[in-house]
Amino acid sequence: MVRVKKAKKVVVKKTRSTNNRIRIIKAKTGLRTETGKVSLGVQELSVGTTKFSNPEIQRLPKTFSRELPSGYGVDKMALLVRDPWWLYTYWEIKQETVERLKSELKDEFYIAKRVLRVYDVTNIIFNGSNANHFFDIQIHEFANNWYIDAGSPGKSWCVDLGLKLSDGRFITILRSNVVQTPLDGPSEITDEEWMIPDDMFARLYGMGFGLGRSSPVGKAWRERMISSPGIASMASPVKKAQKRGFWLRVDCELIVYGATVPDAKVTVQGKAINLRPDGTFTLRFALPDGKQVIPVKAVSADKVEERVITPIVTRETK
Amino acid sequence: MHKGYLCLVLHGHLPYVRHPEHEDFLEEDWLYEAITETYVPLIMVFERLASDRIDFRLTMTLSPTLISMLGDPLLQERYLKHINRLIELAHREIERTRWQPEFHHLALMYLSEFSKARDTFVRYNRNLVNAFKNFQDLGKLEIITCGATHGYFPLMDVHRESVRAQVKVAVSHYESVFGRKPKGIWLPECGYYPGQDGILKEAGIRYFFSDSHGVLHGTPRPKYGVFAPVYCKGTGVACFARDLESSKQVWSSIEGYPGDYNYREFYRDIGFDLEYDYIRPYIHPDGVRINTGIKYYRITGSGNNKEAYVPHWAQSKAAEQAGNFMFNRQKQAAYLYDFMQKKPIIVSPYDAELFGHWWYEGPMWLEFLIRKIACDQDELRLITPSEYLEENPRNQVITPSMSSWGWKGYSEMWLQGSNDWIYRHLHIASEKMTGLAKSYSEVNGLTKRALNQALRELLLAQSSDWAFILGTGTHTEYALRRTKDHLLRFNRLYEELNSNSIDEAWLADIEYKDNIFPGIDYRLHQ
Repeated sequence: MVRVKKAKKVVVKKTRSTNNRIRIIKAKTGLRTETGKVSLGVQELSVGTTKFSNPEIQRLPKTFSRELPSGYGVDKMALLVRDPWWLYTYWEIKQETVERLKSELKDEFYIAKRVLRVYDVTNIIFNGSNANHFFDIQIHEFANNWYIDAGSPGKSWCVDLGLKLSDGRFITILRSNVVQTPLDGPSEITDEEWMIPDDMFARLYGMGFGLGRSSPVGKAWRERMISSPGIASMASPVKKAQKRGFWLRVDCELIVYGATVPDAKVTVQGKAINLRPDGTFTLRFALPDGKQVIPVKAVSADKVEERVITPIVTRETK
Repeated sequence: MHKGYLCLVLHGHLPYVRHPEHEDFLEEDWLYEAITETYVPLIMVFERLASDRIDFRLTMTLSPTLISMLGDPLLQERYLKHINRLIELAHREIERTRWQPEFHHLALMYLSEFSKARDTFVRYNRNLVNAFKNFQDLGKLEIITCGATHGYFPLMDVHRESVRAQVKVAVSHYESVFGRKPKGIWLPECGYYPGQDGILKEAGIRYFFSDSHGVLHGTPRPKYGVFAPVYCKGTGVACFARDLESSKQVWSSIEGYPGDYNYREFYRDIGFDLEYDYIRPYIHPDGVRINTGIKYYRITGSGNNKEAYVPHWAQSKAAEQAGNFMFNRQKQAAYLYDFMQKKPIIVSPYDAELFGHWWYEGPMWLEFLIRKIACDQDELRLITPSEYLEENPRNQVITPSMSSWGWKGYSEMWLQGSNDWIYRHLHIASEKMTGLAKSYSEVNGLTKRALNQALRELLLAQSSDWAFILGTGTHTEYALRRTKDHLLRFNRLYEELNSNSIDEAWLADIEYKDNIFPGIDYRLHQ
């Protein structure tokens, strides 16, 4: 369905500097702990309360920025699962962290490669050095998110953003949460109590994807035509809007209009119609091919007088 | 002989689209169209079945956003205006098509439908939730809940507190509307991530649905595939998996029922077809042509040439397809019964809005199906998940696999180049909200209002619908605006709370605009 959207009238007001100022003040009050976790203590803020009661700041702008901030002044790295094979990670490094690294590493900071280290932490409690295995992805210095081809489904993963120094050392800047990717086929694990012969399961599995058809394990869902149903008006599961080629459509309508005494009774083709208060009327008809005989009859309110006018219209489409 | 169960599930959801600040707002039409074309026709199906004493069981999600919109006085008032305008248009169409018999009777049909929609709407005191509740109270309908704003849970797992808030706000909202707890939940987009069932358990929810591979790829292997529910390891929450075969018969763009050439063509609406000055009062006030709901053509074929819709052809097709669907399920159940030595449950979930809105004949098909199952056979029985669990309490324990019913079966629809950027903003807001909920345990007045509003804004920003629209890449402007507006409002509330400088006038303004969940408790985000 083609939905044409109206651009809403929106009053865009410029961000007032007050917003930025508040952000800066917040950053200075040391809202973040070293671990990068948010510390939201109200107490901490009460330090700045007197500052915030400054009349200038109390006048918070009535409108505020219509764009989201590019960063939140935090150290944060998150890892998400896209599917059995792919992960997605995004991160933000706060300026202080960068400065600290610069002062610790000196020139090395500029030479070091920026790397995502992807750890397979399946069935272990990861302590930073006990991963089953890991691999590195070199990334661009200015990247702040990445899709990672993890390569094998059904595993647990953790990612570090770090620097690989020229002597081979790896320095972790940020560490993500741990995620689990799903299997892309049936589990190998069949507990004893519920043991099912493989061939029987294969039949059930195939039936899960279509009666009587044996589906290639793990691939069936990729072949299905069912895409996300989504919300009703945005995407039709029924059929996609066809891209029409060149086309022309022509139709005709006929407007029959007239006027009489306001209290007269009028019929058109025998059917009573309503007059406007001033005695005028307008009728609109789709006009198919052929001849239309349209008797318009007016009878005065006292039924003494009568007039009939009959337009005859013919449409012929070639 | 009774050999198996069929569990039909209709997932009713629309994102919260309510704009009191504008006289006329295009996206609100999503609700009005769904009322006229889906919810009222479904209610009328239920009413006819009940008055004919046809027993039935149907499971239906009413998402908290949908319930909220259906119960909102402003939207109710606007719907009446909307349907009155449509009725006026139908009257004009009856007159205009007087010399076109093939369309004239359709104009009469629309007048009758629109009038019934208005009558039904008014009869249930303008709140259709009352109708659904009646059928739940009669034991025919099992209404389940959903995420509070249909947030997509797998991509929220980094901050599980948000999943908890989505679930708990939904459950408490459900209780306030239906006077009891929901037995089940439709996970938004069928999105499941292992471990999140713990939150469902906390909320007293007994079951949820997953896509087929959620159970088939679970660990250990499910003995009965998707044809029996499983209990999640560690929590005992039941998971019912979708049967793809029956889904495909209805959904599929190629072999699915709705594509039958006798059915009504969705894409030929008089809002686009008719002469501009005539249709102008019934399209968008800006003059942009939109769908009116009056459509005169049948699908006809794959080409552009469309012929007039013939209702009785469509009706007999719907009856035939309902018979076909039932026959296939009977065959499937009988086969599975022999194979499993146990009665299978075939779970067939669909978007409710498919019925009527996209697939005009959908409600009719559903009615035929239910009548046939009740009267024409005894192999299949309609059942709700909670009834099934009562009859079959012993089930296998597994850990289902992460999955969704979206494109490619996992999270890619909501996590791709066009929408992945939203998560850094959403997640930090979740993190902040958890902090707020922890730091403010007992507050009153303005602070409490600001905290509650902060949770409303966060929830509204989390609707999977925005990411979905951004992912489709067309008409993304509104989804982008909504994502940003709610996050910006959240961020500002957060700053104002932290600096003890809540701007009451502004707060009142966003409370008025984003008025969902009046009884919300910010402490649920923990």
